[in-house]
Amino acid sequence: MIQAKNVYFKYEDELILKNISLEIYEGSFTAIIGANGSGKTTLAKHFNAILLPAKGDVLVDGISTRKDELNARKNIGFVFQNFEDQIVYSTIEEDVAFGLENLGLEQDKIKRRAADTLKRLSISHLAKRNVNTLSLGQKQLAALSGVLAMKPRCIVFDEPTTMLDSRNKKSIMGIIKELNKKDKITVILVTNVLDDLKYVNNVVVLKEGRTIFNDKKSKLNNKILKVAGLYD
Amino acid sequence: MIKRLTIGQYRERYSFIHGLDARIKIFYVVVLGFLSFRLKFGLEMLIFSLFVFGLVYSAKMRLGELSKNLRPFYSVFIFLVVMYLIFSRSQIEKGMIYLWRFLMLIIISLALTFTTTIMDLIAAVEFFSKPLKVFGVKSRNVALMVSAAVRFIPVMFINFERSREAMSSRLADFRRIRHIKVVVLLMLQKMLKSASCLSDAVYARLYDENMEINKMPKLKINDYISMVAVAAFAVIIY
Repeated sequence: MIQAKNVYFKYEDELILKNISLEIYEGSFTAIIGANGSGKTTLAKHFNAILLPAKGDVLVDGISTRKDELNARKNIGFVFQNFEDQIVYSTIEEDVAFGLENLGLEQDKIKRRAADTLKRLSISHLAKRNVNTLSLGQKQLAALSGVLAMKPRCIVFDEPTTMLDSRNKKSIMGIIKELNKKDKITVILVTNVLDDLKYVNNVVVLKEGRTIFNDKKSKLNNKILKVAGLYD
Repeated sequence: MIKRLTIGQYRERYSFIHGLDARIKIFYVVVLGFLSFRLKFGLEMLIFSLFVFGLVYSAKMRLGELSKNLRPFYSVFIFLVVMYLIFSRSQIEKGMIYLWRFLMLIIISLALTFTTTIMDLIAAVEFFSKPLKVFGVKSRNVALMVSAAVRFIPVMFINFERSREAMSSRLADFRRIRHIKVVVLLMLQKMLKSASCLSDAVYARLYDENMEINKMPKLKINDYISMVAVAAFAVIIY
């Protein structure tokens, strides 16, 4: 579904990604792990064409993000690490409608789909609440509902549990797992929490902008994690 | 602090004014505002005031709610009255007219925001900013900017409060310019970071500034009835 071919990315003369090549398969659950500053988020942002490679190419369903940003990102949702900042409108109901309007849906359909999504995430009762009055866990669900309503085939979660307590963490990981298993949505999980790996099939390990491991989870060992700076 | 930011908040109720089209309501605010500047002291102002309070009543806005929303402006009113009394006692009648106009404009605007959801207001703003296309201004961008401002202004206050508390806990003294500068810079830094993230998020959800979206419904019978009523009132009072 997503292919990165020899991707390089530069930010203010600093090379953040160095020759990254990988493939994300339809229906898979892939974790991108690495220490802080290893380039995980930068790489993930390439899948949604938020960032474009300085060299190399990223293909989504064969469409180059460089050539057609809008069509390439149509099937890729992105839940940001600072999920509070990705909510555009003051109420969840309005925010969910934002993405659906961008898909060109009719107002009636937008209302129906927004209501279905909120029901699915059990937050219908929060639909009209001001976002600023919600708890962090509720804001995370609000951000997810805005993405989920657009029915993407793949969702990138950028460190989704970092700001949450253990109860909310478990709940959000349960939802993500269900999206992959039940809805067959391809999930890319950007994380540096090793415990999160229990949910995934494939793992990509980054170190200083390079891939040092890209395979099935079963092949991952402590030596690799140690090299990546994730294991003492 | 966020709990105190309640000026002009929408209240979901079923009233004739709640059911009117947002575009029409914005137009009425402009018309009534214009009218208030043309009226003379006395009977005209009294009739106008009765009309405005009639609007408040039909919007099912309680007097307590109105007074709570007006509370932040009381100090401005008192300040202006005192200034007139001290410096321009001979012009007190003129001053009272200005104050009355100011009060009427606030109440009319409150009636608008009290009965219209933010989303409808933004859609109406988007509608009215369409002619700006000739100057290269995209109406979708205008609407997005308004929504982002509505969403993030309270966040800005929260960030300011957090930074202030964090600094106070380390004995910052906000009578010193240097400390005020630091807290303002911190807030700006956070806002810029939020803006950058918001911009990424908006594009990640397929935002296209050139896309034309028609969110405005057709005008209903009540909109036309209100038009006749406001037009008749304007003719009588003008």
